[in-house]
Amino acid sequence: MPAVRWVGSRVVGAVVVLWAVATLIFFAIRLVPGDPAEAILGGPGSQASQASLDLVRREYGLDRPLLVQYLDQLGRLATGHLGESYSLKQPVAAVLAAQVPPTLTLAALSLVAAWLLAIGVAWWSSGSGRVANAVASGLEVVASAVPHFLLGSVLIVVLSTSLGLLPPVSTGTASGIVLPVITLAIPVAGFLGQVTRDSLLDAAAAPFALTARARGESRSGVFWRHLLRHAALPGLALSGWAFGSLLSGAIVVESLFARPGLGRTLLDAVTLRDIPLVTGVALVSALAYVLVVALGDLAERLVDPRGGRA
Amino acid sequence: MRTPLPAVVGTAAAAALVLAGCTATGGDATGTATPVSGGTLTYATGDAEPTCLDPHVGGNYPQALVSTQYLEELVSKNSDGDVIPWLATAWKQSDDGLSWTFTLKKGVSFTDGTAFDAAAVVANVEHVKDPKTLSSTGYLALAKVDKATAVDAQTVRFDLSSPDSSLLDSLSQPWLAIESPTALKRSQAVNCESPVGTGPFEVQKWVKQESITLVRNSDYTSPPKDAAHTGAAYLSKIVWRFLPDSASRYAALQSGEVDVIDNAQPDSLVAAAKSSQLRAIDAPRPGASDRLELNSSQAPFDDENVRRAFITGVAVNPGIKSLFFGTAKRSYSLLSSVEKDSYSDPSLFAIDTANAKKLLGQAGWTGRDSDGYRTKDGKRLTVRFPVSTNQSIPAERSLFEQIQQEAKGLGFDVEIQQLDLSSWYGALAAHKYEIVSAPYTKVGPGVLDILYNSSSITPAPSGYFANNAQVDSKQVDSLLAEASAEPSETKRHDLYDQVQKIVLEGYYVLPLYDQQNHYLYRTAVHGLRAMPTVSTPSLYDAWLQK
Amino acid sequence: MTMIAALPRVRFAPRVPALVASVLLLAVLVAAVWPEVIAPVDPLAIHPADAFQAPSTAHPFGTDDSGRDLLARVVHGARASLLIGVAATAIGVALGLVLGIAAAVGSRITDIAVSRLLEVLFALPGLLLSLVIIAFAGPGPIPATVAVGLATAPGYARIFRSRIRAVASSEMVEAARVLGRRPSVLLVRHVLPNALAPVVVLATLGVGQAIVWASSLSYLGLGSPPPAPEWGAMLEAGRTYLAVAPWMTVFPGLAIVATAAATTVLGRALTARGRS
Repeated sequence: MPAVRWVGSRVVGAVVVLWAVATLIFFAIRLVPGDPAEAILGGPGSQASQASLDLVRREYGLDRPLLVQYLDQLGRLATGHLGESYSLKQPVAAVLAAQVPPTLTLAALSLVAAWLLAIGVAWWSSGSGRVANAVASGLEVVASAVPHFLLGSVLIVVLSTSLGLLPPVSTGTASGIVLPVITLAIPVAGFLGQVTRDSLLDAAAAPFALTARARGESRSGVFWRHLLRHAALPGLALSGWAFGSLLSGAIVVESLFARPGLGRTLLDAVTLRDIPLVTGVALVSALAYVLVVALGDLAERLVDPRGGRA
Repeated sequence: MRTPLPAVVGTAAAAALVLAGCTATGGDATGTATPVSGGTLTYATGDAEPTCLDPHVGGNYPQALVSTQYLEELVSKNSDGDVIPWLATAWKQSDDGLSWTFTLKKGVSFTDGTAFDAAAVVANVEHVKDPKTLSSTGYLALAKVDKATAVDAQTVRFDLSSPDSSLLDSLSQPWLAIESPTALKRSQAVNCESPVGTGPFEVQKWVKQESITLVRNSDYTSPPKDAAHTGAAYLSKIVWRFLPDSASRYAALQSGEVDVIDNAQPDSLVAAAKSSQLRAIDAPRPGASDRLELNSSQAPFDDENVRRAFITGVAVNPGIKSLFFGTAKRSYSLLSSVEKDSYSDPSLFAIDTANAKKLLGQAGWTGRDSDGYRTKDGKRLTVRFPVSTNQSIPAERSLFEQIQQEAKGLGFDVEIQQLDLSSWYGALAAHKYEIVSAPYTKVGPGVLDILYNSSSITPAPSGYFANNAQVDSKQVDSLLAEASAEPSETKRHDLYDQVQKIVLEGYYVLPLYDQQNHYLYRTAVHGLRAMPTVSTPSLYDAWLQK
Repeated sequence: MTMIAALPRVRFAPRVPALVASVLLLAVLVAAVWPEVIAPVDPLAIHPADAFQAPSTAHPFGTDDSGRDLLARVVHGARASLLIGVAATAIGVALGLVLGIAAAVGSRITDIAVSRLLEVLFALPGLLLSLVIIAFAGPGPIPATVAVGLATAPGYARIFRSRIRAVASSEMVEAARVLGRRPSVLLVRHVLPNALAPVVVLATLGVGQAIVWASSLSYLGLGSPPPAPEWGAMLEAGRTYLAVAPWMTVFPGLAIVATAAATTVLGRALTARGRS
């Protein structure tokens, strides 16, 4: 039963990854200068009394040996308890439940937008000769070289402040998400485009494509039915990478456009040494990564015209 | 705003300040228009998102900003800086200064229906003093209060361990606002989400990292004496948004996405001044001025000559002028210009680089290394300057770079270290600094007792200490103690003058400007004002033109 | 972030772009080594009275908020930015090599262990890793470089592993094995040289991306400390004044984008040549 084995190994792998991530985060944050008790007491620089500090250290078990705290944390995680955020004083699960959807929406829309942009440019340039190809290729290279925060700032000034086309900050309305999505999608589209174009050129010269054209199929017919299937493969293999890159980019984009989400939560949580929250965010993004890789793997199996991986 | 100038000029300066106070109320240009009830105002804050909406817990400025809309204090201040009644209508101090009796406003209820009475005040004092509340700012402000007792339903008595002339100032701060005792009995997590007060608005919903929704309290009866109207607020709803990026925040104001922003940056202020759509309020925060403090406890700034060389050798005026586009006025005082007791002496800060170099020579920093920095016994004249990226605005960070470059001309190697807030406090606690800029907001001159009393060198259990210049002077300590016990305002004023004089003349501190606090708002917004206490915005009188 | 999981394949090597890219990178290199030749002005000298000057003959790129000459700062910034890019890539490639070789030629257990480790590193968003490292070591060019290097290592490791495997099972190596060569000799003489040929290409592609990534750390306030001219830090400083003084953003921004794009073009051209 290869399918069962495939699923089994994925699950075991995921558990190992999650354990390692939790361990890494715990020790990394505890070894960083800064007192988690202060996060609980209203942030760094609190003028908390000794009584408050003692109380917090006792209540949160911060006065116990580090190893005991680690095992305790692991035990809680194993039973599905993410604990309570030090700084927000809310269950981490509740914080995540609120922050995951906006980031997921942003990342998913950006991934779709990136694919659309990449395929669109590939389609436009595939039949338009060398000049178009060079222009498209140039655009892709430049797109992949632009830092998110620069792109976002320029888009705000041009599209929002000067032209007044789109709201400069996320407003919760549909139009509010457009700028963040574009900002996040363009660099990724640049990468996907480069990879897709290369395989597209390979595929276009392959015998099956020539045969199809000889049979009288239209250019677009060949593009959509044959070429893209081949060309998308390396791109799909990159989806796991792309997703991770989107999550990193989300930290920047969410701060810039004042969008709620995992990225900003993470930034604040690291600054405040809020271990349960950092762990929660890291676990969620690790889980998302594992899932996306598995789905990408699955998609690759389905799209690959050879019916399976070599 | 007092300077050692003839009395007449002093009065003129005070009058100018009062005028400044007037411009600090919005909507004056259309003062004749009739307020309209209803509508939703969107406020965008650049301050950090609070982790708890109850300002008793912890106690920082972001909490004060938003809680001004739904919580109220026992007393407030008017734009002249005088204490005025709010939830307390009258108060009396005993002759020994050890007990204060407050008479409370009648017929006030919290938005959960609980009556506001003496028992409620007692419950709040106990809440702040309870270690489990994890209060910092409020706890410190009540340090000298032993306990509060309900004498009758409308009378409450505070018993003090020693006289505290700053008590009223302290009680006017949002960190000691009065909350519903019924609500305080809930778990802290719940109370942090939805604190209950007597204010003109109440917290309806808090979506983390996005916004807090506040709705009008239609039964509101307790505006402070200096409010422009009585009864319920005009606005039916406030959306309080978190927009940390200053450029995005200003863009949102320009596009009409939001109606009011705080923490407006100098370049935005200049741009806004040219726009017919936008207006500004300049409301410096009270307490200390924004200043550099030189750590006098260790080399090289343990030598007064070296401190003096730095302070009189580094020109900051040109930088302040160009970086702040004229929106920030140079300060020569330890205290904010809104403080009546602020003592200012520009003559101490006249730039004289030749003399500064001579002073460094006298202090023994005569060598030069290959990079051009001064040395003494083979050791470079290095001073560490940790800067918190979370606390300093871009213009200020650029000013620090200019200071670094200017000081290089004298032979100082200023090491700017950009740190996140946790690491920054860590560096201070470990005394790994020679220069630091640590803003401190508090109502009244009592802030001097926190910042320059030698007892403030001893760190709090969390490692925090407020006396960053590490001024350790018996004379300052005894003057501060005297001021704290002094019932006469005039005599107190003299004592605080002496303290400020000693600190300024000891070259411990390089004042830069007031703690900048600028609001920008769209012209459709009327009646917006900054509270004369801690300069937080009050939306009680605000209304939106349709 | 490096897109190195799949090597781009190019059918024809466009000569002109590669030439332009080479010239550009050469200019950056010259700026990095002899900045004072191109821009003799002191990049740190402040003139508050001349702040926010638009580009002019006196200041071709304009001045910044402290009246410093932007041309001088961009030119002098090449060294810091290039150093971050090269050093981060070196760290990433070196670590990737060690892990990749260990996984490819080690025992089955080693392979599994390394593969899992890579998966863990992949699963942590790169910026989270950077944040933790920088919280630990304090912000600055060195922690930022290490952070970017570490975050790119798993990508390199994965490629090296699969390439070594592919080469090891190739006909050429099979033939050598049949001829009775010892495994260690096989590895050093035949497998590694063939498998690692693309290191140069990968590294070229990586440098530009490392520069872009390091600039994101500057946005979060975690990059080079002031007043050192460094492109990412200059970009972040300029962003505040995008509406008032766009040149403060445009020139360092162009420098970053052009350098990163040039390394990509050059890397791809090298790939194409390697194939033909």
